[in-house]
Amino acid sequence: MSRLKHIIFREWYTRVRRRAFILGTLLIPVLMAGLIGLVVWMERAETEHHKVLVADLAGLVSYEDSTLRAWVPICPDCFPERGNLEYRFAERALDDEAFLASDYTMMVFFDDGILQHASAKFVYDRAPSLSVQNYVERDLSAAIERFKVKEELALDYATYKRLKTKVSLLGEDVVTKDGNATGRTAIGFLFSFFMFIQILVYGMHVMRGVIEEKANRIVEVVISVVKPIELMTGKIIGIGLVGVTQVVALSLLGFLVFQVGGVSLEMTGMLQAAANDNVNVDFETWMASNDAVGFLLDVNWPLMVGSALVYFVAGFFMYAAVFAAIGSAVDNESDAQYLMLPAMLPLMASYLIAAMAMENPEGQIAFIGSFVPFTAPILMLIRLPLGVAWWELAVSLAGVIATAYILVVLSARIFRTGILMHGKKVTFKELVRWLRHD
Amino acid sequence: MHDSPALDISGIEKAFGTQRALDRVGFTVPRGGIFGLLGPNGAGKTTLLRMLNGITAPDAGEISFFGERLARHHLAQIGYLPEERGLYKSMRVGEQALYFAQLRGMDKREARTKLRGWFERLEVDGWWNKEVSEVSKGMAQKIQFILSVLHEPRLLILDEPLSGFDPINAQRVRDVIMDLRAEGKTTILLSTHDMGSVEELCDEVALLNHGQLVLHGAVPELREAARDGRVEVTFRDSVMAFTVALGASAELLHVAEKANVRGEHQAMLRLPAQTDPAEWLHWISGQVALTSCKPWQPGMREIFIKAVEKQIPTTA
Repeated sequence: MSRLKHIIFREWYTRVRRRAFILGTLLIPVLMAGLIGLVVWMERAETEHHKVLVADLAGLVSYEDSTLRAWVPICPDCFPERGNLEYRFAERALDDEAFLASDYTMMVFFDDGILQHASAKFVYDRAPSLSVQNYVERDLSAAIERFKVKEELALDYATYKRLKTKVSLLGEDVVTKDGNATGRTAIGFLFSFFMFIQILVYGMHVMRGVIEEKANRIVEVVISVVKPIELMTGKIIGIGLVGVTQVVALSLLGFLVFQVGGVSLEMTGMLQAAANDNVNVDFETWMASNDAVGFLLDVNWPLMVGSALVYFVAGFFMYAAVFAAIGSAVDNESDAQYLMLPAMLPLMASYLIAAMAMENPEGQIAFIGSFVPFTAPILMLIRLPLGVAWWELAVSLAGVIATAYILVVLSARIFRTGILMHGKKVTFKELVRWLRHD
Repeated sequence: MHDSPALDISGIEKAFGTQRALDRVGFTVPRGGIFGLLGPNGAGKTTLLRMLNGITAPDAGEISFFGERLARHHLAQIGYLPEERGLYKSMRVGEQALYFAQLRGMDKREARTKLRGWFERLEVDGWWNKEVSEVSKGMAQKIQFILSVLHEPRLLILDEPLSGFDPINAQRVRDVIMDLRAEGKTTILLSTHDMGSVEELCDEVALLNHGQLVLHGAVPELREAARDGRVEVTFRDSVMAFTVALGASAELLHVAEKANVRGEHQAMLRLPAQTDPAEWLHWISGQVALTSCKPWQPGMREIFIKAVEKQIPTTA
C-alpha cells in the first residue's frame, strides 16, 4: 500500500507541476470567457450603418406625403428605426450609376408581383450582413402582410395583430414540476462532454506514460520492486487524480468567476437595468427571474457533481486500464494506433449518442446507453438533471464498477507480459494469449 | 541456515511458447563474493535474473534465497541494475533517487542521508536538483548504480554494470564493487560479457548457453583446468635458430617479434603429453637464449568461447 502511495504521488505530482498543466488549467476559463466575449464583441461590432432605399414600384407599403413632399411608409411601425439601419422610400428604383452616386448602401425594389411570389430583389454596393438582411426581410414582410390584411381582407391591421396568435409550449414534468427540461438537458450534455474529454485526454496520458516507461527501460527496475498490477493501478489512480485536480481547480475558478461576476454586476447596477425594474436585485434573484439562466438554480448540483465524480473514477478506471494494456503492448505511439481503435469506439459512440440524446434525453437510446457500462459514464450524466430513479443510478454504477474491475484484472495480465516485450509488433491473437496466460 | 548459500538454484525451467529459455538450470551462489553469470546473447541470463527479481516465475524448479524459498518479501533485500536501464526524464535527480528509495521501503530522511553519501562517493553530488534530461549518459549510469545499492541489499544483481562508462568512471564503479565485496555484507551477481572484468572481479562463474548450464566453478580452478600443455616462451635468438633448435621436441604454434623489444621474440608452443616440462626447459635453455618460459593459462575469454563452441556440459 505504501509503495502504491508513492507511485500515485509520483504520477500525480510530476504532471500537475508541469507548466503546461498549470497554464492549461488557468487558460480554460480564460479561453471560454474570451470565446464568449468574442461572440458578444462580434455581435456588437456589427455597427456598420446601412441606409436602405425601398423602391415601392406599386405603392404597396409607402405613399407620397404631400406636406413632407416625400415618400413615407404607410405603416411606420413596420419599419422601425434601428441604430445601424434606416429606410428611405421611393416610387422608382435608381439606375446603377445613380445608386452608386447616392449615399444608399442597399436598394430593395418590387412591384405588385411580391403579393404572389413573396420575393423582392435588392442591390448593394457593400454586401450587408445576414442580420441586416434579416431585419429588412422581417420589416418588409410585416409591411406586405399589413397591406394584404387591409386590402384583401378589408380588416383593420391592429385588429388582425390582436387576433393573430402564436402558441408557445411550456412543458412541465408532472412529477418533478420541472419546466426547464431543455436547459437541464444542456447542463447534462455539458457534463457528458466534459466527461468524454477527461476520459479521453487522461486515458491517453496513461497510455503515453506506460509507453514512456517502457521505452526508457525504467520499468524493469520498477517492477523488480512492485508488482506490475500495482504499477498499473498506481499510474491509473495518479493520472486520474490529475484529471480530478483539474476539475476541482476549474470548479473553484468557475465558482470564483460566478461570485465575482455576480457581485460586480450587482454593484454596477447592471442587474437592475437588465431586470428593467427600479428595485435593487441581487444576482440570485436576477437569475431566478431570468428564463434563460433561471433553470441553473433548479439543477441539483451536489448530485450532479457527486455522480460525475463517481462515474469519472469508475469510467476512467475502465478505459485507462485498457489504454495502459495497449501502451504496454507497443514500443511507440504510432504502433498503438490500430489497437486504439476498438478501445476508442465505445467512447466515441457514447459521445455521439449523447449529442443525439440532446434531442430526446428520455428516449430509448439514452435510457439503454445509460446502463451499458462502456457508455453509462457519459450517457447517465445527460439523463441525470431530468431526474433518475435511485435504483437506475445504482444499477448503472454497479455495472460500470464491475466492468472496471474486470478490465483492470484483464489489462494487468496483458500489462505484465507486454511491459517487458521489446521490438515486436503485437497482434490481437497474441494479446488474447497473454490474457489467457495466468 | 547461516551457512546456506546466497542463492541455491535447482532444476529451473522456463519456456516461452515452444522456445525453451532455461532448461534444468541449477547452481549455487556462495555468500559474500562476486559471482559471474556468463553466456552469449539469448542464453537465458536475463530470464534467470528476472526470476531472481520476481519479475517472471519459473515453470519448474526452485530458488532458495539465503536458505529460504525465494518469495516476494525477499525482493526488498535484492538490488537490481538491469542491462537496459533508464530514469524518468521528467523528474529531478534527487527526487527520483528518493522515489526509488521509498519504493524499496526506505524512510525518506534515512534515504536522503545515504543518498548524499553515495552521491559524494561517486561524484554526482552537484546534480541533485538537475532534471534527468540534462544529465549525461555516464552520470545517469552512476545514479542508476546508486539506486541499486542504496538500500544495502544482501544480494546485488548487476547486469553489465560497466557498459557505457569511460575508463575513469568504470574504474570508480569497479572500486565500489570491490569495496562492497570487501565489506562482506553483500553478495554480488555480475552478468557481463566483459571477460576482463570477470577475471578481475569474479570469484566464481556460471556459464549458460541455449538455456543450459555449460560451465560452473571458481575462476582460478576453471583457468587451471583449462590448461592444455601450451607454453609461452621469449628468446633473443633468430626465429630460424629457435626453430632448428626446437626440432620435434614441441609443436610451434605461433612466433612473433616481441613488441617494443628489438631482437626478442615470443613464441607459443605445445609440448607433447609425455614430455616433462622441467626437463624440456632445462634442455632448451642450453640450445637457445631463453629470457622467459611459463605455462600458458587460458583467460576467461578463451574458456568462454571454447565452452560455448563445444557446448558440452562440464563442471570443474
